[in-house]
Amino acid sequence: MTRSNLALTGPLALAALSLAIVSAAIGYTPLDLGKAMSDVLSGADSLERIVFVELRLPRAILGLAVGFSLGITGAAMQGLLRNPLADPGVVGVSSGAALGAVIAFYSGLSQGLELALPLGGILGAALTAGAVFWMGGRGTSTAALILAGIALSSLAGAMSALALNLSPNPYAALEIIFWLMGSLNDRSLTHVYLALPLMVVGWVLMLRSAHALDALSLGEDTASSLGFNLSAVRLNLVAGAALSVGSAVAVTGAIGFVGLIVPHLLRPFVGHRPGRLLLVSGFGGAVLTLAADIGVRIVPIEPELKLGVVTALVGAPFLFSLLWRLKREA
Amino acid sequence: MAAPLSKEGPQRIVSLNLCADQIIARLVPKERIASVTFLAAEPHSSTVSDLVKGVSTNQGLAEEVAGLDPDLVLAGRYTARGAVGFLERHGSSVVDLDVSESFAETRTQILDIAKAAGVEERGVALVDEMDRKLAENVDTVAARKPRAMMLGPNGFATSYGPLVDEMLSRAGLINIAAELGAEGRASIPLEAAILGKLDMLIVDSGERTGPALAQEVLAHPAVRALKHGVLVVELPSNLWTCAGPQLTDAVALLADARRRWERETLEQVKP
Repeated sequence: MTRSNLALTGPLALAALSLAIVSAAIGYTPLDLGKAMSDVLSGADSLERIVFVELRLPRAILGLAVGFSLGITGAAMQGLLRNPLADPGVVGVSSGAALGAVIAFYSGLSQGLELALPLGGILGAALTAGAVFWMGGRGTSTAALILAGIALSSLAGAMSALALNLSPNPYAALEIIFWLMGSLNDRSLTHVYLALPLMVVGWVLMLRSAHALDALSLGEDTASSLGFNLSAVRLNLVAGAALSVGSAVAVTGAIGFVGLIVPHLLRPFVGHRPGRLLLVSGFGGAVLTLAADIGVRIVPIEPELKLGVVTALVGAPFLFSLLWRLKREA
Repeated sequence: MAAPLSKEGPQRIVSLNLCADQIIARLVPKERIASVTFLAAEPHSSTVSDLVKGVSTNQGLAEEVAGLDPDLVLAGRYTARGAVGFLERHGSSVVDLDVSESFAETRTQILDIAKAAGVEERGVALVDEMDRKLAENVDTVAARKPRAMMLGPNGFATSYGPLVDEMLSRAGLINIAAELGAEGRASIPLEAAILGKLDMLIVDSGERTGPALAQEVLAHPAVRALKHGVLVVELPSNLWTCAGPQLTDAVALLADARRRWERETLEQVKP
């Protein structure tokens, strides 16, 4: 890692970690953190410990990990497709993941086998990501990619709504908002155990392709001549994206725009090298997601805002400005 | 429960609301009911599924009930409004039910429906029976009332409304949702509930009809951990989701739980 990169990664990682601590410290009710910590250390069974370990901690960890997944995947997809609008939300990968998770959850599959929930998300993400990369990999224009994304995400959204309507449970139909907008509310350590290891495998797969992404920015032929096996690189990245986003969405629903905004903001600071962008975008995504999640708990709006609402309020204007800039450059 | 087989009054009653279903089914024989909601036939949401067996069901759509030529339509003030408007325009007599906020209002509502259905005496009898059952649960209140809270699907709701507040207080419990929900929250965050110094946790024990996130919260590890220190009481949701005679059964069930709690805490004090 070069010094300039470290100078950016260090502070971002520190910021993400601090926000995770803030996230665990704030909540809906004042919590005696000192007592909670000492009970955790001494193993005493207290209500403070339950709140801290079973509610605050999973929320902070998932905010960090899901944000990291969305950020790094956004950077990886933008690098691989060499397209500034490639983001798991925009191109439909998140919706596909939500569909997979919805089917795994409401069919009752995940009640028998808990791992079915993230696996369903990963399968859904892999199918949509595969479709997008198959299109985008053939030098498609930005417009074609976005249109394919719209088609994929509306299809996946509609299928999720259908699956929820078919559920015999009267509460199910209302829950589409969780899957489309995402939330970290009332998640548990079980969700952390289920999703985190799979997300980490995804991160590693993507980070391992960093050099290949740098080479790809010079064009496919150049990358091949530099000795990179392009189909292996593509497979690595698609698998990495599906693993991270698929398991993230399966436990928190689809939180939009994180993967779009963060790589864009950070790109100038890494000398426009897509390989270097990966790690910093991960930490940047974690910062944004944790900040948004702290925000939804601070603003006095009840019932609590979905996380995707906040990120869309920031992200949609950003997407507009991005399109505006692309239009002017064209 | 024998209802008088009166030939007077409406003979093709249609109900578009689960709460109305549960009142009318107790007032008139099912031969006089032309249609009830599909929920009335499901035992996990209704307490009258056996009384309405064989009665045709609706989903609150005008088309389903228009052909029945109803002579009395019972509807909720806020539900199935499209169907209600249609039926009113075509000359059916419609009774709109407000959302009942107290036992007193519930009583009036039962009497109103009985009057519209032409079975006023039966209505009075039903209300008297409610009062008698409620009186059975008024007993000497212990020095300390248990602090209780309801945990339903979608978490801890404060205000399932004043009716649930009254239900708990008639059973001799303190509903701590009121003190936690002081800021007008629609629901109480899990962590506030856990730190709320509970004595009794009332959980919804309705039959499950397939997984939903709303009910996943009931199995949250934090809730499971909370259950160790408090008395957990299961309350079937069909007893309390609607205002009606079944509320007295809910009160009886909760009052029993309170007596059990009093015995257990006394035993701990005695050693």
